[in-house]
Amino acid sequence: MTTMAAEPIIEARNIVKRFGGALAVDGVSVSVRPGEIHAVVGENGAGKSTLMRVLAGIIEQDSGDVVVGGNVLASSAKASIEAGISLVHQELSLVPEMTVAENILLGSAPTAVGFTKQKEMKAIAADALKEIGVSVDLDERISRLSVALRQFVEIARAVARKPKVLILDEPTATLTPAETDYLLEMLQRLAQGGMAIVYISHRIPEVFRICHSVSILRDGQLVHAGSIADTTPDKVVDMMVGRELKADLQTHRTSSPGDVVLKASGIRAPGVNGIDLEVRAGEIVGLGGLVGAGRTELVRAIIGADDRQSGTVTLTVNGKTRALTSYQSSVRAGVGYVPEERRTDGLALGMTVFENINLPNRRELSTAGFQLPGKIMQFAQSLSEKVGLRPPEIKREAGQYSGGNQQKIVIAKWLGRRPSFMVLDEPTRGVDVGAKAEIHKLVKELADQGTAVLVVSSDLPELLELSDVIHVVRDGQIMGTLAQKDADEKAVMSLASGEKMVNA
Amino acid sequence: MAKETLTETIAVAEAASIEPQAKQTTSGRLFMWVADNGIFVFTALLVLFAVIFVDGFASLVNITDVFHRAAPIGIVAVGMTFVVISGNYLDLSVVAQVATSAVIFIAVSNVYGIPLAMLAALVAAVLYGLANGIAVGFFKANAVIVTLSTTYIGLGLLRYFSGGSIFFGPQDGPIREFGLGKLGPVPYSAVVLLIMTILLSILLTRTNFGFLVRSFGVNEKATRLSGTNTGLVIIGAFIVTAIAAMIAGFVLAAFSNTAVSAMSDGYDFRALAAIIVGGTSVFGGKGSVFRTLLGVIFVSVLTNVLVLSQISFGYQQVALGALIVLAVSVDAVARKVSKR
Amino acid sequence: MTETMQLGKAGPQGFFGRLRTVVARRTEGRGVALLAVILVTVAFVEPLVLTAYPVSLGRIALIGIVALGLTAVILMGELDLSVASTLALSGVIMASIPDLRLGVLAALATGLVVGAINAFFVAVIGINSFIATLGMLFALRGLAFVISDEAPVSLANKDAGIAFGLPLIGPLTPRVLIFILVFIAIQVFVSRVKAGREFFAVGGNRQAAYDAGIPVKRRILTGFLISGFVSSLAGVINTLERTTADPTAGSTVLLASFAAAIIGGNYLKGGRGSIVGTLIGATSLGILQVALTLSGVQVPVQEIFIGAILLIAVTTDPASIRAVVGGIRQATRGRAKTETA
Repeated sequence: MTTMAAEPIIEARNIVKRFGGALAVDGVSVSVRPGEIHAVVGENGAGKSTLMRVLAGIIEQDSGDVVVGGNVLASSAKASIEAGISLVHQELSLVPEMTVAENILLGSAPTAVGFTKQKEMKAIAADALKEIGVSVDLDERISRLSVALRQFVEIARAVARKPKVLILDEPTATLTPAETDYLLEMLQRLAQGGMAIVYISHRIPEVFRICHSVSILRDGQLVHAGSIADTTPDKVVDMMVGRELKADLQTHRTSSPGDVVLKASGIRAPGVNGIDLEVRAGEIVGLGGLVGAGRTELVRAIIGADDRQSGTVTLTVNGKTRALTSYQSSVRAGVGYVPEERRTDGLALGMTVFENINLPNRRELSTAGFQLPGKIMQFAQSLSEKVGLRPPEIKREAGQYSGGNQQKIVIAKWLGRRPSFMVLDEPTRGVDVGAKAEIHKLVKELADQGTAVLVVSSDLPELLELSDVIHVVRDGQIMGTLAQKDADEKAVMSLASGEKMVNA
Repeated sequence: MAKETLTETIAVAEAASIEPQAKQTTSGRLFMWVADNGIFVFTALLVLFAVIFVDGFASLVNITDVFHRAAPIGIVAVGMTFVVISGNYLDLSVVAQVATSAVIFIAVSNVYGIPLAMLAALVAAVLYGLANGIAVGFFKANAVIVTLSTTYIGLGLLRYFSGGSIFFGPQDGPIREFGLGKLGPVPYSAVVLLIMTILLSILLTRTNFGFLVRSFGVNEKATRLSGTNTGLVIIGAFIVTAIAAMIAGFVLAAFSNTAVSAMSDGYDFRALAAIIVGGTSVFGGKGSVFRTLLGVIFVSVLTNVLVLSQISFGYQQVALGALIVLAVSVDAVARKVSKR
Repeated sequence: MTETMQLGKAGPQGFFGRLRTVVARRTEGRGVALLAVILVTVAFVEPLVLTAYPVSLGRIALIGIVALGLTAVILMGELDLSVASTLALSGVIMASIPDLRLGVLAALATGLVVGAINAFFVAVIGINSFIATLGMLFALRGLAFVISDEAPVSLANKDAGIAFGLPLIGPLTPRVLIFILVFIAIQVFVSRVKAGREFFAVGGNRQAAYDAGIPVKRRILTGFLISGFVSSLAGVINTLERTTADPTAGSTVLLASFAAAIIGGNYLKGGRGSIVGTLIGATSLGILQVALTLSGVQVPVQEIFIGAILLIAVTTDPASIRAVVGGIRQATRGRAKTETA
């Protein structure tokens, strides 16, 4: 282990950040020294990304300071860049039709009288690539590179600025194991050269492989900060998920699942590498895993919302089996889909509640193409009350409701279809605690009435609460299946992050 | 203040949605109110202004003339509202469609009678609607460019087959009667406009089809994910426009008892001006057929005022162009202000 | 020393392999294909087009100048529909000023002013560029009518106009020479000048452009200034050669130049395309138009052809094809079979 300078190069002191009324980061302090690789771990929503964006100056904190090299930093992207902080985004911000060299120097290409100095630009770009140890044709367009290569170019861009602090947000989410190895080795090299690295990740094995220290966030708060050598993967996972088992939330259903309703075999799609899956009537199957594991891609491929490369899906209702091909025909056959992004995919925010509920149900609420307003209103009103929309004003615009209520509207509209198979992707993301519990109740009731339910969730307590069976997905494959009695947060997390199960 | 990245904006929205939307500022709401409802006030003021200050406006002859001129453009505009509400900007090919319909109407009816002429025009209209609708709805091509190209194709076909000549209807006959006929002070053509407005309004607000058009304009993805074949919806919107243009062509031909390929010049932007001024958002989703009618009234009265004031055609066009840009600017700024 | 990782694709082997890569890589593929088809057809049907190449060159030049300016705007993901009116207005202004040099300057200044106004509405107010430039299209044409009193305006200095139409260097008329200059200027700008390169960022990933500190609004201004300027240039050329300025000029050019840019592989959504592609597109359309004219095809039919080409071009770009193929695949993957278990 190289000896590191004692003085931290970057410090976050008591950062607080609120969004609306929600506390995203609650008085967190982090400090990193030159040459140190510091992991920041926590579940989705724990506040990692927000904290990183504050460090990078992209968003402004409500209180607290970011200190670099002893100086308090103004909150702007420019100030951070000038202070030597480089953030590698989770979403690549590359320009597809510009070359590798141009992307590496985007916005700061060297010029002479306005003309780009090609040689100099390429030299700087080549330097950055060499620094990270990757060889790519500098004149190749980004659009022709693989996703992994793009990730490396993105890193090269961050490194080209010769930063003092490099922040990476889930950089290995889209990489193969070999590429991940390469990345980790590269980061170690950079650290040895004196760069301070902040490494945000869920992936415990990686963290334990290269990081010197770790800060663990949970619900916006710092629950632990210390050297890696002083802890174990098991303890880290424990601290990430917390040990507060709220007894009243653990109301397990006793389900007696019926026949298989949905059967998916050999599903292959971008991000999905051969998955078989069955869901029975009255059963809730949960899909656990890390962000980027391929769960959303899987469910969308199953229902036809995205194209499948191969694989068959059948739906069996009342003894009749039909193959599910297109999304339209799936919906008509009795499939319901609550998408991950409710604001863009799930609801027409500019339309009223009753209009949203009417949308998939319009055929039953009309005759000869003419809408039956009375019937629509009645239908919408009863469904709104059933899902607990507060207040159940169906003439209000959907966009004026809170996230929890909006999600209820989405669920309501599908409930009206009496689906035989229902998919919910992150059903309570961005939803307040009260609505969350109500939504859980709705999902369980739905299953009790015989619907086959498939739930994708990154919220471990929720996954455990709802599911009769949990499949844990990683890298597009099912890593393991846990029955309800065997499932706990640690088991899921271990399978999801690649750490072997500790309890046999 | 630092700029926000896209993910962060989504994250903010997600987190903020735990609580209801923040209240808008009073000035923001005032601005939005003006943007939404200004047209009623402005139209009333304009008419008042015209009656009081513009010589010759309030005469029966003039009002009838205004109706005559407003009718065909209005019929096109109320039909094209469907395309605009669906978020597909506009249908430039109405110019070709109206002229084609008028020419077919007169030319064919002279030889084969009116019913066959109307049938032929209907076929042409459906073809236009299908061409535009398939290109935009299934090929997902840009509606502006698609309808630009179909305009040229259409006008080209029309001029080729008609030789650019003017067709005359018979001196007496049902066409002439319709063109000259009135219901009280209101010409038949304006009555047609009113009927069309009511019918199309019902289509837009009370049928599943109209509902889907509006829904598509508000959120295309959510509409598709609710199990809708959105391509068909778009084809429908363009066919509605085409049929409205067809009727407008009949009306126009009846008014002048002639038909020539150039007679519908300028219909595209006049219709668009009426739609936008009426308050239908060019981004899609929000709007109504009745508002378009109001916009038609405003634009027609304005044009009439300009003509009576002896303002040349050129200045009229400048005024209309500026009006479009102004109306859209108000909409765009209102959106920005309300997001703060 | 650590090994560097070879993550790039291995190069294709063989001549055809490499050729296929080049064709697939470049966006001008369709344009080249169309040009080849047109050239071959024309060689058989109406070879006069090729032997009387000055005429063809002239037509290509006129379409091309406007198309090149348009391309700059399209690369950024915007549209400029006002080009036709800018052309007409500039011509009219020029002809209305007795002094030739002053007239030309005024005309060119007009183009710049129009560009600036367009950019203002798009970048500052935030209106969709299509609507803004559509409104300008109408307003400017109106202005042209006003200034010209709704009739064509004769150029005072007719001799200059006639001289302008005569070949200057070899068989190349001033029109063609200007076109070549504009092409070189814009091509260099978009490929070698930093601001020009950043057009691709503004169109290809505007958020990334903002994040990287690129002055997006300024780039949009530059794009519209270019488009406005070349349109007014085309108006000047047009007026000089015909020795009159017609306030209704430009409508066919609008159609043809859009077609040229899109055939040339410039994506309407922005961020992808090439100036050379526009050149190829303009060449295809210019030759096509001349061939049709020489074959005695009337103007309306020519417009049908060009309209059809534009329609086909805009519905066959990869995004559209993907949409259609996806739809067909979904529908034919097998009608949902219903069997009793």
